[in-house]
Amino acid sequence: MDVTSREPPEPGDRSLAQMVLERGDERAFRTLYRRHTPLLYQFVLRTLEGNEQDAEDVIQETWMRAVENLESFRWEGPLKNWLLGIALNCCRTLFRRKDRAWLELDERFGWSATDGPEEHIDVERALELLPPGYRTVLLLHDLEGYKHHEIAELLGTTAGTSKSQLFHARRSLRSLLLGAAQSR
Amino acid sequence: MTHDERHDEDSVGAAPLEGLARKRMPGRLLEERTVRALRVRGLLAAPRIQWSWVTAALAASIALFTGGFALGQMNATRTVAGVILAEREQTAMEAALMVQRTGSAHVMALARLATLSDSTANGAVEQGREAAKAALYAAAGELASLAPDDPVAAQIRRYLSSTLPTRATQEIEQRSVVWF
Repeated sequence: MDVTSREPPEPGDRSLAQMVLERGDERAFRTLYRRHTPLLYQFVLRTLEGNEQDAEDVIQETWMRAVENLESFRWEGPLKNWLLGIALNCCRTLFRRKDRAWLELDERFGWSATDGPEEHIDVERALELLPPGYRTVLLLHDLEGYKHHEIAELLGTTAGTSKSQLFHARRSLRSLLLGAAQSR
Repeated sequence: MTHDERHDEDSVGAAPLEGLARKRMPGRLLEERTVRALRVRGLLAAPRIQWSWVTAALAASIALFTGGFALGQMNATRTVAGVILAEREQTAMEAALMVQRTGSAHVMALARLATLSDSTANGAVEQGREAAKAALYAAAGELASLAPDDPVAAQIRRYLSSTLPTRATQEIEQRSVVWF
């Protein structure tokens, strides 16, 4: 094993966060930012239907709130989950500001995939066509691998709600993709 | 049947999301924007001024300025000298060309006068001859001042001064230029 080529291990999230808290260390913050932003940004971008401007605003706001409240973070779970929770809250606020529904489940159950267009669509486009609540749970569960109780914690809801959201989201997505395939 | 059982996700199966990218880095500007906003709120420290770096930068700037200034001055001096030299060379070349051109014209004019020497206008031809001799005398004078040791120029001057009227040679000496 070539030991000499090994780079020194990067400091963990906790020690970097400590540096930010104690002395407002910019370099430590940038390391944290570069470590977690790619995942946050991609997630937020999908949640906001590909709107880059909104996604960037949400990411900035997420980091602002995160650094402001860093002291209150208990480190009982990964920092990534906490950041994602903040980002999702910011998305929810944005949807509310735009008078868009977020997790109004009962109303959304009436939504049908046939409401979507019939032209060829890929998975990305199909995701965009889902209601935001469906989309978020689907991405958290099927893409990011979160469990229902974690999703419930992140979104401030129950595990049962998360399950039913996922059920409807999957069914809607399949209908969208199937409809597109049949119309081709 | 509970709400959870009715909506058991396993009955539908996972969504086909395997090919989707999970990470994407936004533009660099967002990082800078975020850092700046955090600084404004006092959550990040303002960048520390490193005095050693400032001193080094200042020294480098002064060295660069001084070097540039010296180089500029040297170039300017060289350029001015070059321009003067070139102008002088050009002026001498122009003068030599003028001598050649006017000399040819002078000879051609004399040749033309020679073809008219047996015409009836003897007065005019004689006047031309006198003018040619005066011009030759003046030219020999200039040649002598150009090359004082030139024996040919001195002899021409000596010979012509004996043939030209005294008043004419005096006028030529005073004016240095022959006006016809």
